[in-house]
Amino acid sequence: MHTSSISTEILVIGGGATGTGVAWDAALRGFRTILVEKRDLTHGTTGRYHGLLHSGGRYVVKDPHSAVECIAENRILRRTHTHCIEDTGGFFVVTPEDEGDYPDRFVAACRETGVPCQEISVAEALRREPMLNPRISRVFEVPDGAADSFLATHATAQAARQAGARILIYHEVVGLLTEGGDGDKRVTGAVVRDTVSGESIHIHADLVINASGAWAGQLAGMAGVGVKIIPGKGVMVATNHRLVNSVINRCKMPSDGDILVPVHTVSIIGTTDEEVTDPENLVITAEEVQYMLAEGDKLVPGLSAARIVRAWAGVRPLYQEGFSGDSRDATRSLTLLDHKARDGVQGFLTITGGKWTTFRMMAEKTVDRACEHLGVERTCTTATTPVPGIEQGHYWLGHRLHEVEEEQLQGGLVCECELVTRQMVESAARRNPTVTLDDLRRDVRLGMGPCQGGFCTYRAVGILHEIGRERHDPDFVLEGESDAEDWEVAYLQSPAESSRGHSITEHATPDAIPDTPLPTRSPAIDQRSPVSNPNLLLRDFLQERWKGVLPVLWGRQLKQERLDELIYLSLMNADHLPDDEAQSPLTGFYRAS
Amino acid sequence: MNDLIVIGSGLAGLTAAYSAVKAGLSVKIIAKGMGITHWHAGTIDVLGYAAKGKGVARPLEASGDLPDEHPYQLLDEKGLATALTEFAALTAEMGLPYTGAQTAGDNLWLPSPVGAARPAFLAPAGQAGGDLSTGQPLLIVGIEGMRDFYPKLIAENLAKQGHSARHAFLPLSLFTQRHDITTLQLAKLVEEPARLSPLADALIRIVQPGERIGLPAVLGFENHPAVLARLTEATHAPVFEIPTLPPSVPGIRLHTRLRRRLEAMGVRVEIGMEAISFGAEGERILWVETETSSRPLRHRAANFLLATGGILGGGIHSDHTGRAWEVVFDLPLTIPQERSGWFRPHFLDGGGQPVFRGGVPVNANFQPIRPEGGPVYANLWAAGGGLSGADSIRERSVEGIALSTGGAVASLLASNPVK
Ligand SMILES: Cc1cc2nc3c(=O)[nH]c(=O)nc-3n(C[C@H](O)[C@H](O)[C@H](O)COP(=O)(O)OP(=O)(O)OC[C@H]3O[C@@H](n4cnc5c(N)ncnc54)[C@H](O)[C@@H]3O)c2cc1C
Repeated sequence: MHTSSISTEILVIGGGATGTGVAWDAALRGFRTILVEKRDLTHGTTGRYHGLLHSGGRYVVKDPHSAVECIAENRILRRTHTHCIEDTGGFFVVTPEDEGDYPDRFVAACRETGVPCQEISVAEALRREPMLNPRISRVFEVPDGAADSFLATHATAQAARQAGARILIYHEVVGLLTEGGDGDKRVTGAVVRDTVSGESIHIHADLVINASGAWAGQLAGMAGVGVKIIPGKGVMVATNHRLVNSVINRCKMPSDGDILVPVHTVSIIGTTDEEVTDPENLVITAEEVQYMLAEGDKLVPGLSAARIVRAWAGVRPLYQEGFSGDSRDATRSLTLLDHKARDGVQGFLTITGGKWTTFRMMAEKTVDRACEHLGVERTCTTATTPVPGIEQGHYWLGHRLHEVEEEQLQGGLVCECELVTRQMVESAARRNPTVTLDDLRRDVRLGMGPCQGGFCTYRAVGILHEIGRERHDPDFVLEGESDAEDWEVAYLQSPAESSRGHSITEHATPDAIPDTPLPTRSPAIDQRSPVSNPNLLLRDFLQERWKGVLPVLWGRQLKQERLDELIYLSLMNADHLPDDEAQSPLTGFYRAS
Repeated sequence: MNDLIVIGSGLAGLTAAYSAVKAGLSVKIIAKGMGITHWHAGTIDVLGYAAKGKGVARPLEASGDLPDEHPYQLLDEKGLATALTEFAALTAEMGLPYTGAQTAGDNLWLPSPVGAARPAFLAPAGQAGGDLSTGQPLLIVGIEGMRDFYPKLIAENLAKQGHSARHAFLPLSLFTQRHDITTLQLAKLVEEPARLSPLADALIRIVQPGERIGLPAVLGFENHPAVLARLTEATHAPVFEIPTLPPSVPGIRLHTRLRRRLEAMGVRVEIGMEAISFGAEGERILWVETETSSRPLRHRAANFLLATGGILGGGIHSDHTGRAWEVVFDLPLTIPQERSGWFRPHFLDGGGQPVFRGGVPVNANFQPIRPEGGPVYANLWAAGGGLSGADSIRERSVEGIALSTGGAVASLLASNPVK
């Protein structure tokens, strides 16, 4: 097997919010930086979280330190990542079950931690949120928001690229390079496997930063360092439309199923906290879903009867030195482990814990420490540097609808639920290295609506296949690599932008009917990637979807699933396509058991 | 009062009504929607895959090996064959002839919208021309701007399976100045004589001698047979259709013609009527009530046939507690009343999902039965997708089960009518 070797100043492991934040910060401070992520950006917890931009209100009583971090970052992210955040506002509501003195303690704690909090009348709250349980007794308003972590991570990664960082997705760290022995050990880089081509690369670095979230313990282990992550699994359930327009929290000690967040077209009820052993294969039980729905009914009566489109789970990368106990009680604060001071291992930092809301601050602290290690003084500028795309303002489905109607793009819709056009799919695939349809789902929300990919899966497979180009083509470059400078990721979300800006559809005239197939549309899909194998793409996505809908199949969603079976099995016969043995990085998910 | 009320207007309901009327009964159909014909290929799938996903070459013979609880095992020996022959005859009469494989009794293997070979027993003449058991090279032709048909994908997959296949695109400007179009709009346009010649000319210029031409299934609604004939004649190449992503033009053609035929025979087909309750006296059902905008309507009849389909058709509902119920008569079901028993972890698991195998259990007379055994009502029958004992989508028997069980109920009623 061919092994190549590259070197850099800083190597970041993990393409979640934290890792991309670190890469962005480090690149802005002028460090040569490479980030490696084993799958797609946001594959980890960042892509499976609840969607809440915390005001800090949730933690004021239990974890005040964390609350202070949240409100500070809440204010900053609204400026640096404007388009990724919807200013929904949030309520803390006291339901008939939440008795006791918690509400008063809550108010006092908000004051102490500086989380803005205002009590409003129940009538006013019901006027703004008519679906809310009318039996609530008190309501407090806080500056919660809804945050799109897919878009935010892409935008941060793009900002990092523009500052000179290299972002390598589908690159997995399989070992750490070390020098020296006990007491004098030094991490000098990592052995990385390109999971698409199978090649292995040695990346030498002056400093390695482990930002691998719930996997941080595994990574640290590769350097012989013991880091005990407390993996707390959380389950979330999405309804098929927005039941509320503000974030609704129960005003009580944080517990299960007590937050409802409106995110784009859906509302998400969550979450749970259960210690698990493996961050990768998370099982969601019928009981967990049932429990979420029952708790949801207490906030919005009738929620359990709504159509449920998907359930998923993420793992909190919680860390507390020497902690043993229930994972819910572990601190939500960030933890920066300097392995030189802690374990006598140089050139290696681990950043873990925290929340999505605090990723920028986590990155700042980490890169501050990196500066010390590398013996330089450079100040952090991320708090005042907006990422690309903020001029768009917050993006919501209404934008797409408006553009689609204005420019008459209806017939070009590939996904009717989320208003994704053919051009958006093409742009996303050409600009971002796309390996699976699930990557596209994260990029443009393909298949995230009520039909969960029933119609768009086939269309996306057909389109990607059509725009593919032969592997042996010497001119092949991924567009995203050559024009990172001027491409705005935010435009991925815009139906009109992708059809206006880059007109790639050449319509032939009747006179010019060639006798060979028309060269169809713009090329440029990486033929090494499984995207070039449509059958694999289809099979993997169907299975991936199945995993997401399985815990919530009943009623109309079960009927929808049966329609998808009719289409993909009976009509298409997709379970009897050639290439049954082909593999992609996603295949492992279901071949394993 | 009618001899028979059929609830459901899918293929099971329509064919049962047709056979019953032919046998002299008076029949009315009430239905909430139009069944799943609009969502499928428009072919008659009888049995494509047996246990563990093994391909079936000769479905009538293989049907004998199915498990005892399978609806096919309730039919008498010739039941399935007769239903299929009668259906083929009916389609010929309706001007939309369906045919089978060249070797009688074999399955057809037809190109699917992704280029897999899909097993069907009968297909409209337009689709049967795509049968992959003949080796004739294929030119798969798509239309730019259509989002529900991908010729390159189809041709490449066919080639991977050893067929000689290539693809080409036609510009949408042959039909319209728009940039995109839906399948149904296209099917309407293709029917206009003025558009047919440019289409034929375009095809002539790309087809090579010896090839057959596969087009998306948009070759007209009413004039489909004429469109097909005209293109075949002009190009000197066999022209056939490949189904698209739904809605399905071939499915709509079949449904429309069947319904029209029934109406011509005096059957009232009332669509948009959801059965919401019923009245019974002892062993007999007296009436079924449907919802209308003003007040509920009562439909009385001597006999009732439940042909509302399964989970997809809407005959069976379920909720998050794991309860599943039959919506009109609340009949006993064989679906596990526990969600944990409904599914397997893998979508493509050859065994299928257990929840879809359950349904309404019936006796040899197709009467819904109680768990202890006896019929629930003396004048209630069931047919089609709601029956227990088969996952018709996994085994590709959706239409076969509908036709044969619907036909079986009709002939039982005709031979000893309950008045
Ligand atoms: C159920 C739940 C709900 C949450 N809700 C919220 C919320 O509403 N608001 C909020 O602010 N926070 C929330 N959080 C917390 C927040 O989601 C996480 O703190 C945050 O996303 C962690 O980001 P991360 O980058 O540290 O980790 P991750 O996103 O997990 O990133 C780690 C990455 O490392 C990669 N990786 C692992 N091993 C390797 C390897 N060997 N080589 C290369 N790459 C590797 C993984 O693939 C992964 O992409 C929630 C957490 C959970 C579990």
